[in-house]
Amino acid sequence: MTRLTVAFSALLLIVSVTPVLAAPCQQCHEVTVSGVHQGIACQECHGAQGNLGNPGIADNRGLGCVECHADTGMIFSHAMSRRTAEQEFCQRSWGRADTTFYATNCQQCHVASCADCHGSGHAMTTPDTHRCQTCHQGYFVGWDFSGRAPREDSVRYQRGPRSHDQYYLKMRPDVHAEAGLDCSDCHTMASFLDGKVSAKSCRDCHDVNPDIIEHGIAAHLENMECVSCHASWAAQEYATYYVETINSSNRAYFRVKPTGNERYVKSSYLKRQDLPPLGVNEEGRVAPIRPQFQAYYSKVVDNQPQGEENQRLASEWKVFTPHTIRRGTALCDQCHGNARRFILEPLEQRIYRPDRDGLGIDSLWRAEGQRVVNGSFMPPARFERMSQKTPEYSRGYVKKWQDFLKKDAASSKP
Amino acid sequence: MIRVLIAIFFLLPFLLVGCGSQSTTSQCEYCHAGLELASDTHQNCIDCHGGDETLTDKKAAHASMYGPRNPSAPKFWEKTCGKCHQYQLDRVRSNLMLTNTGFIKNIRLTWEGGEEYLYATQDQKLYDAQGNPVEHHSVLKLRNLAGELYRKYCSLCHVGMESHRSWKASHASGCAACHFPFNENGTYQGNDLAMKNKWPHSASHQMEPLPTNEVCFRCHNRSGRIALSYQGMNDGNNGLVPVNNGFPGPELISGARNVTHIQGDIHFDKGMDCIDCHTSRDVMGDGYAYENMYQQTEVACEDCHGSGDEGPRYEVVERENHDAVRESRNYQRQVKTGDKLVLTSKGRPYSNVFYQDGKIVVVGKRDGQEHISKQIAATPEHTIVGHERMECYACHSAAVPQCFGCHTQYDQSQKGMDFVRGRETRGKFSETEDYRSLYPFSLALDQRGKIAPMTPGCQTFVTVLDRRGNVQKEEYVANFRGKQQLRFAPFYSHNTALKAVSCRECHADPAFLGFGQHVVAGQSVESTLICEKSDELPLDGFMVMKQGEVQSFSAVVREHSRPLNEHEVRRALMVNQCLVCHDDPKDAIYQQALDYDQIDRCLQRVTPDR
Repeated sequence: MTRLTVAFSALLLIVSVTPVLAAPCQQCHEVTVSGVHQGIACQECHGAQGNLGNPGIADNRGLGCVECHADTGMIFSHAMSRRTAEQEFCQRSWGRADTTFYATNCQQCHVASCADCHGSGHAMTTPDTHRCQTCHQGYFVGWDFSGRAPREDSVRYQRGPRSHDQYYLKMRPDVHAEAGLDCSDCHTMASFLDGKVSAKSCRDCHDVNPDIIEHGIAAHLENMECVSCHASWAAQEYATYYVETINSSNRAYFRVKPTGNERYVKSSYLKRQDLPPLGVNEEGRVAPIRPQFQAYYSKVVDNQPQGEENQRLASEWKVFTPHTIRRGTALCDQCHGNARRFILEPLEQRIYRPDRDGLGIDSLWRAEGQRVVNGSFMPPARFERMSQKTPEYSRGYVKKWQDFLKKDAASSKP
Repeated sequence: MIRVLIAIFFLLPFLLVGCGSQSTTSQCEYCHAGLELASDTHQNCIDCHGGDETLTDKKAAHASMYGPRNPSAPKFWEKTCGKCHQYQLDRVRSNLMLTNTGFIKNIRLTWEGGEEYLYATQDQKLYDAQGNPVEHHSVLKLRNLAGELYRKYCSLCHVGMESHRSWKASHASGCAACHFPFNENGTYQGNDLAMKNKWPHSASHQMEPLPTNEVCFRCHNRSGRIALSYQGMNDGNNGLVPVNNGFPGPELISGARNVTHIQGDIHFDKGMDCIDCHTSRDVMGDGYAYENMYQQTEVACEDCHGSGDEGPRYEVVERENHDAVRESRNYQRQVKTGDKLVLTSKGRPYSNVFYQDGKIVVVGKRDGQEHISKQIAATPEHTIVGHERMECYACHSAAVPQCFGCHTQYDQSQKGMDFVRGRETRGKFSETEDYRSLYPFSLALDQRGKIAPMTPGCQTFVTVLDRRGNVQKEEYVANFRGKQQLRFAPFYSHNTALKAVSCRECHADPAFLGFGQHVVAGQSVESTLICEKSDELPLDGFMVMKQGEVQSFSAVVREHSRPLNEHEVRRALMVNQCLVCHDDPKDAIYQQALDYDQIDRCLQRVTPDR
């Protein structure tokens, strides 16, 4: 053993005193570096001592990478690594019922190494859309860019095409995806480093064409985000349930897709994939919102419910940006006068009755008892104002329909 | 004639003996002490059950029983129920709920199951409503996928067959299917200790002459799901939550499905039962063989509510032996001579809907509750020009359950239970689906040529695996009317609302015309929920519009039915130009055909601020 240690130390000594020598590494490690790092010696990334087995990991704040890529180390303080918002949400919702909830159910998706995004092994690349969707899939914005919506959790709906180990419901993709754009065309590393969500916003690339009727309406441009009209659909999950099961064979009755751990069953009350509801963002502009999350929790031990069943732990909505942009939009009535779209559904117009199922809310599309974490619901007075049928509105409305139907004499005959 | 009547009168007590003789001491009563009487008129055990009431040995006493469990099963019913109730038995024999002719016919349309004969649950010769003989061939002879699907999937909901393994959906066979109701798990809960908790049995031995909504629910909880929607329930688009006592909830029903709640049908909310609208001829047949349930059904909204131009019709009961008098025997309110009975769409009288004091009164058969029916004749919102082509429920449906994308796999490497044969045979079915929706719903022409709500019927994609598990057909769309296409079907959802879908909701949202969910770009309507087989076609609709050209690509099943054509689509959408100002359906401008040139004059006029 002593002899072995001596030999090993000697070897280390040789390695540490030898300057850049690529060939010896490759005598043992069958590694081919491709891409822009092709001509670089191993030690450049793996450390002069060869002590950085994994040069890009968060534990050393990407030491092997940041030497050249100065400042990129801050990615480990970025939202994608720290997920502060997600942790805070868990803390104030499911975490109240189970302090280990976040660790059990939410650990999978976070940036822990430069390599998570920039390629596998020694083929370092700029991440493509598919790579981003490794995390940004399911209910998270990103999958929708490629026309994928999450399916209902029940196994009855687990069918059809798959991506990222999940079945998806086929929807119309984003027009930018159709044109061949990748996530990174708008979401650059530089923008992340600046702490921004994106390098480009709609109007950096697109001029507003005032000849389009809707664009000619000043209030639309002043009061709304582009995406409020141009998001063609959005994944919406109403009431997300986590059921903690301990030593309970009841678990088998929930015929839903697996959560990846033995303890929890996850399901939801309703999923919709249509036009997103609208609220108001922090800038006061109308923007898409969705439930994220209406959190419910139950615990079953030895097949017996523990404490309150279907405990409502949060009823939160979020202003968000569906990545389902189309040139086309919904027609005027989908917003004007459409109270349900603005979470102002009159009680007598309810179809779903969550109150009868113990959800603790009267309607899935009523603001009462719920909140928007990064904005607000549409104030009723503002909704009333925008739903007024002023003469200008009526003129624009008629013109819109005439344009759409290209008024022709034949159709006007009864 | 008079002599014959007198003879019958004197013979009556003796004729009734078969059904109601009082037995003094029978061994049956000794062993089954506490067992409820089926009814006051059904007192004698062996008249219905057969067997030997004099023997004490259980086996010997039971040996000659009809059953032993259910003497009303079709196998015995000629010797049991039918012995006294010949008229009812003959009707039930022709009833679609027994023959399942329509069911099997529609499955064949979906599965290219041949069109040579009419098939039914058994070989039978019946007569159609015109009096022509109709031959039904047994579904056992239907040697194709359609036959297999019926025997292995659909046949369980057949009143001729007992189903006892479905939570809340089990039922007896034959007459007892409706008149001796099972509870959730089909166990006897009456006072006969010898039978207590035994399975599968009706919950009680007390006959139920008037079936409750729960009875209808046992079968009508799938496919169209009318028993669910009527009572304000919805299955699907859900993953078995909220939890209920540690189990999936809020309420479980057969097939590992759960139901959540929606707004109920207005008639249900007012306390009306299924049988308050549906006559006994609707549910038990009228003696004639029909090929589809909409032909057998005689209730229509207009019967009680009137149409735009005509009120309900009625007839006066003049005879004591009027059908309705006999039928109402077990009702809270019996029909008597002199009553004015409202007529069904087939011109036959209801037995619980009266014309009295100028009003239409529907009386609950079970509870006697009176409901005054609203009349719509000559009201402006019901006499809009163009709307005379609409079914009432095109506007008055709160929700329409729609199940998009039905993916059925038939795997011949596995075995499946053939319920008709009563044994497992090669080939197993399994099913998955894509998406469900309740609202909005699409409209097209139905079998009456009227505009009605549509639901997929069906969007079946068939995958067939051979004995080695190799794919023979993959996600195959069957031929219908000569081409591979998906199908929608006219459908009354049984989720009626007092408040109608508003003019603008319907006219300004192309989804109601069959485009599915969408966005509009220029003169094109672009669907957003897309069929996997295409990059363009909607899964939740049957229409596309490209640069102003309208095209429908799915079929609407049933004769005279079809999607709206381009002219009709444009006409429906053009109304929006008027609706923006004239949004009250009572507005007089809708009492005549619209003049669209008027709009230009309106637009040029200087409008004062409102």
